[in-house]
Amino acid sequence: MNIRQFKETIAHRLMFLLCLFVLSLVFLMVFGLYQRAKPILAVSSMKDLVFSANWHPTQGHFGLAGFIAGTLWVTAIAIVIAVPLSLLTATYLSEYCSRWVREIIKPVIDLLAGISPVVYGVWGMIAVVPLVRDYLMPFLSERLPFFPFASENYTGFSALTAGIVLAIMISPLIISIIEEVMRAVSFGVREASVSLGATKWQTTKWVVLRKASPGIVAAVILGLSRAMGETMAVLMVAGCAMQGFPKSIFDTAYPLPALIANTYGEMMSVPLYDAAVLLAALILFLITVFFNIVAWGILLYIERKEA
Amino acid sequence: MQTKTHISARDLTVSYGEQQALNHISIDIPDKKITAIIGPSGCGKTTLLKSFNRLLDLQDGVRVAGQVLVDGENIYDPGVEKTHLRKRMGLLSQRPTVLPMSIYDNVVYGLRIHGVKDKKILDQAVERYLQEANLWSEVKDRLHSSATRLSIGQQQRLCLARGLAVEPEIILGDEPTSALDPVSAEQIEQRFLVLKNQYTIVLVTHILRQAKRLADYVIFLYLGNLIEHGPAEQVLNNPRYAKTQAYIEGKFIEEPTIHKEITLQKERSADYLTSTLLALDELQVDQVLKVVVDSEPTMNEISKAVELKCHKILEVKRIDLLHWEIIIQKQNVNFII
Repeated sequence: MNIRQFKETIAHRLMFLLCLFVLSLVFLMVFGLYQRAKPILAVSSMKDLVFSANWHPTQGHFGLAGFIAGTLWVTAIAIVIAVPLSLLTATYLSEYCSRWVREIIKPVIDLLAGISPVVYGVWGMIAVVPLVRDYLMPFLSERLPFFPFASENYTGFSALTAGIVLAIMISPLIISIIEEVMRAVSFGVREASVSLGATKWQTTKWVVLRKASPGIVAAVILGLSRAMGETMAVLMVAGCAMQGFPKSIFDTAYPLPALIANTYGEMMSVPLYDAAVLLAALILFLITVFFNIVAWGILLYIERKEA
Repeated sequence: MQTKTHISARDLTVSYGEQQALNHISIDIPDKKITAIIGPSGCGKTTLLKSFNRLLDLQDGVRVAGQVLVDGENIYDPGVEKTHLRKRMGLLSQRPTVLPMSIYDNVVYGLRIHGVKDKKILDQAVERYLQEANLWSEVKDRLHSSATRLSIGQQQRLCLARGLAVEPEIILGDEPTSALDPVSAEQIEQRFLVLKNQYTIVLVTHILRQAKRLADYVIFLYLGNLIEHGPAEQVLNNPRYAKTQAYIEGKFIEEPTIHKEITLQKERSADYLTSTLLALDELQVDQVLKVVVDSEPTMNEISKAVELKCHKILEVKRIDLLHWEIIIQKQNVNFII
């Protein structure tokens, strides 16, 4: 066997093994988390742990529902803010602005995507917390004293604060993907629409966005997964006080990642605490997987409807 | 040929960045006829077509100079409403471009964006224009299924119906049959022959046989220059210039070797005819003379005079705003008394 073919074979095998290794990490992780969470599952049932909000570790109550709800609540707020922002920005970049404007804005947005979460956290504390505390919360909570605005929390550390910070963190990623997907829509269909006398906005709304919809869904889900797993920035601005289920965007929230980062390794004297936190990690993992599967399903559905 | 002009280009120059795609084109396109723009790939056929409904505006870095008149109105005037202009022309592109929606929605897309909401009008339009595009019988039972499921030939006819639905006056076809199988292509061609009674049709094609079958009027472009235009009979069967001849016979198009070059300016050389003939006298038979002149009447006069003397004009080309060049090949004229 000559040396070239030998190298070829080695490269082929090596890459296959590495690929296998990465794949196996997923399963190892689930397995590891499950093993370590087993002690608590032996004491109380999965159903109790997931659906009860009774979190009193010292008394042996480990209901995680409050944290799960907190995660979903903060993520939902972030998505509600981020999606219109990203969609319109991406539309502007892809359809409206001239090439040189795009060439300036695009790298800046990509830069925004690369900034460390702790920087967003600090920015959230010095800019968004006062904004929520001094303006948004008093204004909205007083005028709209019902769900989801009514609140007694005057600190500014709240689910909304975390949502805003998260939205700004995930927007660059979503913008970047949506812009690319939109620009990949063929020039021909745009021409077809425009040649019938459509304006740019009509073309964008009826043709480009429709054609790009699978990619847009994928981008949003990707942002959603990122928001759900984000720890540092959320931990710094969400308040992280346990209040059961969230009743207002201005209440504090305590999402799963913050719980894990805050308590793991510190409260080990409490029996089963360790197992409960690792169960929380497992649940976070499963939620993320669940959303990815849903995204996959939506993509398949759209593609099948199109084809 | 006495016909009304529908679209005319006046000194139209289009460039993409540095590259010039169309070079001082002036041309009249007759009303309610099929005009075929022929020429090899990449010589500006599509650019010329898309300059008629300002679709060029969609691309970055395109510069357009000169005028395009539709019914006598310059469409490159700043005040022109592009959406209304485009509504007057239906476009069929090389590959059918169905919109990502149902068959029904495709046909009424144009009507809807122009504000028609009445369901009855839309329903009627769908039936009428699908029939006009000869597609109705094939799709009438599945109007609300996705248009992308149609065959490619059906898709092109759907695009035709969609274009007709906005009631244009002009149909622009950019090699509309090039992606289709022969049967579908023939269906489209048959449609054009019917539609030309009501619409002005401009068709880009690089299939000569198609131009022969359909065209009433032919424009031959080569490397962004207008080489020849005229009634189809004349251009396709009896072309005037060497390049057109070569293209139609399927030979390589060659730039002639110039043996002598003279430049004539109106004021200084009043006797430009004599100068040209004298220059020709100095050449041997089959050698080529290039004459550059600075006005259109001069160009016409020289061409006529030279042809009367039985020399052959290989090409007449506008090189910029003021200057024309005439390429003349000397013929053996001794036997003519």
